[in-house]
Amino acid sequence: MIQAPQATKRSKLQRWLQRSLPFWLLLPTVVILLTVQVYPALYTVWLSFHDREPQGWVYVGAQNFERLFGMGLFAESVGHTLVFLVGFASLTLVLGFVIALLLNRRLRFSGLYVTLLFIPWIIADIIVGIVFRLLVVPDYGLFSGILQNPALFPPDGLSVLTAVPPRPWFGDFPFPPAPAMIYLILASTWRALPFVTLLLLAAMQTVPNEVLESSRIDGANSRQVIRYVMIPLMLPTIVVALFSLTLSGMNGVGMVFSLTGGGPGSSTEVLSYMLYSIGWRQLEFGRAGALALLIGLVNWGLIAGTLRVTRAHGEPSGEEQ
Amino acid sequence: MKRFSTWTALVLLLAVTLSGCAMPAPTPGAESDGQDATEIKDFVTWYQYDQNNEDPASDERVGNEYLRDTVPLFNEAFAGKWNWVNQPKAWDQMAAELVAAVQAGGDVPDLFHTGSGNVTLFYKNGVMQDLTEWASAQSWYADLDAHALEACKGPDGALYCIPVAQQPQLVYVWKDRFPDGFPKTPDEFLAAAASLKEQGLYAITFFGSTAFDGEGLTRAVWTALSSFGGVLDDGEGNMTLNTPENVAAVEFLRTIVQNGYAPEIIFAGNWQEEEAFKDASAGSFPTGLFGYRYVNPLTAPNGTEYTKGNEEDMLDAITAGDVILAPFVAPEGETPGCGTAVSGFGIPVGAKNAEAAKDYINWIMEPGQNADWVLRPGGGFPVLSATQSAEQFQSPFYLEAAEVIAQSACSPWYGSLERLAEAKKLGMAAIYKVIKEDPTADIAAELQAAQDEYNAGN
Repeated sequence: MIQAPQATKRSKLQRWLQRSLPFWLLLPTVVILLTVQVYPALYTVWLSFHDREPQGWVYVGAQNFERLFGMGLFAESVGHTLVFLVGFASLTLVLGFVIALLLNRRLRFSGLYVTLLFIPWIIADIIVGIVFRLLVVPDYGLFSGILQNPALFPPDGLSVLTAVPPRPWFGDFPFPPAPAMIYLILASTWRALPFVTLLLLAAMQTVPNEVLESSRIDGANSRQVIRYVMIPLMLPTIVVALFSLTLSGMNGVGMVFSLTGGGPGSSTEVLSYMLYSIGWRQLEFGRAGALALLIGLVNWGLIAGTLRVTRAHGEPSGEEQ
Repeated sequence: MKRFSTWTALVLLLAVTLSGCAMPAPTPGAESDGQDATEIKDFVTWYQYDQNNEDPASDERVGNEYLRDTVPLFNEAFAGKWNWVNQPKAWDQMAAELVAAVQAGGDVPDLFHTGSGNVTLFYKNGVMQDLTEWASAQSWYADLDAHALEACKGPDGALYCIPVAQQPQLVYVWKDRFPDGFPKTPDEFLAAAASLKEQGLYAITFFGSTAFDGEGLTRAVWTALSSFGGVLDDGEGNMTLNTPENVAAVEFLRTIVQNGYAPEIIFAGNWQEEEAFKDASAGSFPTGLFGYRYVNPLTAPNGTEYTKGNEEDMLDAITAGDVILAPFVAPEGETPGCGTAVSGFGIPVGAKNAEAAKDYINWIMEPGQNADWVLRPGGGFPVLSATQSAEQFQSPFYLEAAEVIAQSACSPWYGSLERLAEAKKLGMAAIYKVIKEDPTADIAAELQAAQDEYNAGN
């Protein structure tokens, strides 16, 4: 009679512990995420509405955004970012797909090729930038003699890092890009290629052989097999690769920093480099916060778009059912 | 069994969480409540030099070696009191790191090796301690150069750094490239440049790119602007980039670039413009006095090679007479201009051991230490008049440099501008555009646009 209430209490406590155990197990992760992800993000939002004065932080409303949009360089950087992202993501994806197709044929030594292919991925982007830079430094680079030869690149030869961009075709939009931008895209592609290739190769290997064989039996040629069978089946992976490339291209600063420094002039100054410049060179944390917020919104848009596409393609359609 | 696992998981979680919150283990030199009065305290400095880097080919060899030599001397002089701990930092990131550390309430050094160019930045961000009262009570204060002292003052008139060395700019010249001497006027220079071009050579190399957020503006470009009588500010914090003098100077730079009197590498950034001077393909190189440390090895026009691969190469070339120093060219009636900066120390807000920093500054101001500091990490001329006559500054290099500086009117490029990083980026971008990217662009209009953008932020 006396032990009954105690036993009830204990069993209640046990039930509570059992029910709340998932919460306690998740708590450290949640705390870490709040500390290293949510707090900095909220702080960035706070920063974007403040400016630093000698007496401390001062609320300035939307002034940081106004100043940002008032900068001549901002519109230019948006254009450079678009050019870079389209060039980098599409080139990497296409090349990655082609190389994955070759490796998927199970050539001799394909294991060796995959290992070699992975080398660029393990090199830091800053180092890649420095190496690519040293190849084409005007007059003194390894390939400068060839590139700056007027007979090969008339009329004056090509100095990749210092050549001025061609006159834009569409108003002020920076297209065609400067040679330095093309070179930046090539260097970035070189580094990102292994990851994308392996991602696509893995997806390619999950395409059932029966499906491929039956499409061939139905008379599809190789191009048609790729176009109408492989790519649709690989689409979620392709979208993930595209998303990953776009995000890394959007946020990466190391390659620009070490390869072109945003130059010549401002012709490779992309938004991420501009953010670095305003934040860590000019130490205008308020304006940098405003720009970071804008970049963050674009990132969120990209993530949402990607999830939508992957979900749409992940769900079987009525016809398939 | 299930109950046991639940409890075990909870206990483990608790242990992990609590261990994360545990007090950090005491580190050597850290303060403690029951501290002994005689305990040696760490004195932490941030220099761009690294005492542990013994690479003889390092660009910062001079400063690195200085620290290696001097740390034991300081620790001996303050035995039982301070223990100097230097934390090397990247030259182009240390100011940002300090600002972030101060604002975040993180660990800051007791003493920060700084240039006068950072003073307004530090002032705005509340980074440095006001040293006015303390400095003015020191014996060396009255002996400081007035201009150098002024450069260390913030917009509020308070002293935020202690100047030790002045770093003026001048022109390094391969003597044989200019047989009639380095030109004195822009017209003479262009004539000499045309002649050199016929020989497949360049008259000049300089930092012409927009790299490092417009660092070029603070170097040869400012030297050119000021030589033409130009200024970048109106004395009240507004930018005055579009002035007739500045336009004339930019026109001169445009002529040099468009006529091919300077190599393409001047636009490559990353200090690579130096290459053209090293192999003497360019006859002159306007840069900082301390630039002698970085430009090596050298091959003179007469074939003499200076191949030690350190700062001695340039000094040897100067002693041998292959390289001479000169003021920049200036139009008739103008004094050659030159940029100048002050190198010294600041004590950050939040420094745990400001007393040691003050002892250190006093120690550096002693005659023997002062000359050594100015000559090595300072890389310039002494700010203390007592040190100016020191034996170290009687070498051919320093005597020649002093003569050149005396013929020039040197001033900091920024004047009363407060957002220096933004100003140099905007200014250099505009100048780059008109001298390189679009040589038909209206110079005045481009300079005005940059000026307006800067002033809109005032």
